[in-house]
Amino acid sequence: MNWLNFQKPQRYLDSEWNVIKKKHRGKIKVAICFPDLYEVGMSNLGLRILYAMFNEFNDIVCERVFFPGLDLGDYLEKRKKRLFSLESKLPLSSFDVIGFNLSYELNFTNFLYMLKLGGVPLRGEERKKIILLGGGISNPEPLAEFVDVFFLGEFEEKIAKFVSILRKYKDKESRLRALAEIEGFYVPKFYHVEVKGRDYYFFKKYKYAHLPLKKIYVKDLNSVYYPVNWLTPHTEIVHDRVQIEIARGCPNRCYFCQARCFYYPYREKKVEKILKIMEAVYKSSGYENFSLLALSASDYSHIEELIEEAEGLFNKEKVGISLPSLRVEDLVSRLYKKLLKVKKTSLTLAIEAGTPQLRERINKRIDVDTFLEAKEILKSLNLRHIKLYFMFGLPGEGEQDLISIGELVRKIAKELNMRLHVSINVFVPKPFSLFQDLAMEPEDVLYKKRELLLKTLKRRNIKLSISNIKQRIIEAVLSRGDRRLSRVIYRAFLKGAKFDSYTEHFNWRLWEEAFREEELDYRWYLSSFVNNFSWSHINWRG
Amino acid sequence: MDKRFKIKVTIRKEGIMRYFSQLDLVRILERALRRTQLPIFFTQGFNPRAKMSFNKALKLGEKGEIEVIFYFRERVDKELLRIKLSKNLPKGIRLRNIEIVNG
Repeated sequence: MNWLNFQKPQRYLDSEWNVIKKKHRGKIKVAICFPDLYEVGMSNLGLRILYAMFNEFNDIVCERVFFPGLDLGDYLEKRKKRLFSLESKLPLSSFDVIGFNLSYELNFTNFLYMLKLGGVPLRGEERKKIILLGGGISNPEPLAEFVDVFFLGEFEEKIAKFVSILRKYKDKESRLRALAEIEGFYVPKFYHVEVKGRDYYFFKKYKYAHLPLKKIYVKDLNSVYYPVNWLTPHTEIVHDRVQIEIARGCPNRCYFCQARCFYYPYREKKVEKILKIMEAVYKSSGYENFSLLALSASDYSHIEELIEEAEGLFNKEKVGISLPSLRVEDLVSRLYKKLLKVKKTSLTLAIEAGTPQLRERINKRIDVDTFLEAKEILKSLNLRHIKLYFMFGLPGEGEQDLISIGELVRKIAKELNMRLHVSINVFVPKPFSLFQDLAMEPEDVLYKKRELLLKTLKRRNIKLSISNIKQRIIEAVLSRGDRRLSRVIYRAFLKGAKFDSYTEHFNWRLWEEAFREEELDYRWYLSSFVNNFSWSHINWRG
Repeated sequence: MDKRFKIKVTIRKEGIMRYFSQLDLVRILERALRRTQLPIFFTQGFNPRAKMSFNKALKLGEKGEIEVIFYFRERVDKELLRIKLSKNLPKGIRLRNIEIVNG
């Protein structure tokens, strides 16, 4: 294969430092697939953990499969060749178990495209092998027709159990039955879901399956496996830093947030454990940038001590340390002195709403005034740029809230005299968030609000990115959907929908047609529900 | 006087490494060098990188030899560098020659 014919051929080569290559003979072959490009997938910590953990078992060989660039996808289709794993270049269809790390609803069609390119039948019932899906999808229902097993929660806890079942049972049916009996594994075909009007009714079809379903989480982060032999790409990836997890979950209660519930409860890793991991990863990888990962890093109990110690550890080697999720008041009141020594990075602030009243309503605790008062401090940090995140379409939001976003952004830009990246997203009432029972703002209102925001924010020193409304609507529908949506996703896919998460590839018409042909009204999923949801049989609070 | 200790290394880029760009090569060599734990000399400024200079760049897809000068904060034994570096270079990059430039 002449790789020069393809864009970024580095994506498909397997020469990363610390790549794991095993002989296949006599082993159970597990593929871990990621439904987005290499450079996105390699920035995913979960994928790295599972890849390394699976390969710790002597009788398992685990390899990675990423979504191909469109040029390679077309090439494979035309030549009737199959999508392959990075390590051995064997087709996806030759693996015994196919795992997917799926975290985003707009990647559902990519998921189907990968199966098709890999020569794997899409529907569960047409397939002899197991597709296991985990990651960040909290409501698996729309994929029920395609996926055999969903894992609910943190797979580190059950990987050994999973492997033992693969060893013990060889045919699909007995594997599925054995898995369904273990908490955390959701085998949708063992459940019957009935929709009557606005209500969902759930029934077990296999008596040893669990109902309600409970998620699984790691109790002690200090004893959890960490992939210290860090897989180090030779080419640039999206988040080109080693991710060092310092905490899981979030102690805050922002009402709109799904991650809070998904990663519940809040857990921290000890400072000395984190430092040990950092040292080991640096030795094994030589990576020049590290980031300390948590949903809210400033809530980490020993954050000052950690930054100081980490800085000391890496001072000589000039390794950069970034903290992607600091709260602004913590930054300017106590953390900036510590950060001065650390290699410069960018700062991200999720302000979410334009006025204090609306922020209170969504329970977002952020002190914007402190931020503005601290401009000298912020200037001294030599930040490359500042990223600001907002939402619109929030409950109770009025025109003034939107105008205030513009005013606030312009004020920050002026005071700091710095280029701002502003990202404004449509609010989606996601399952398992505390706002899950709200309706999504009607489309026509969203369009008007978007216009208003564009008018007030188009400035030279502001780089603005604002949601494509239709794209967010599909994301909302898929996240709030039920089993009937499997057919809609399938139709959209047959019509050619893929890369839906990329605005330039997203095609609303395909989705609209798919809904029409299935005689489903997508708006139905966006109104406020009364009694229960398609995901009510799953308990993510654990 | 230039206090940095310089070593000129000749490497051969071949096999799948041909598909990695010059920019990738800089990244690959810096990380390999960092893994050796030798006292690298870093560039100044907000974004310090391991200093190195190349005699040329190879085109994407091309195989061949490149000379690169590595800079260190202090004297580094040539043999030690050879042993440590060859252990840390990925497949497709071969160490051909090492010579001390100053010192």
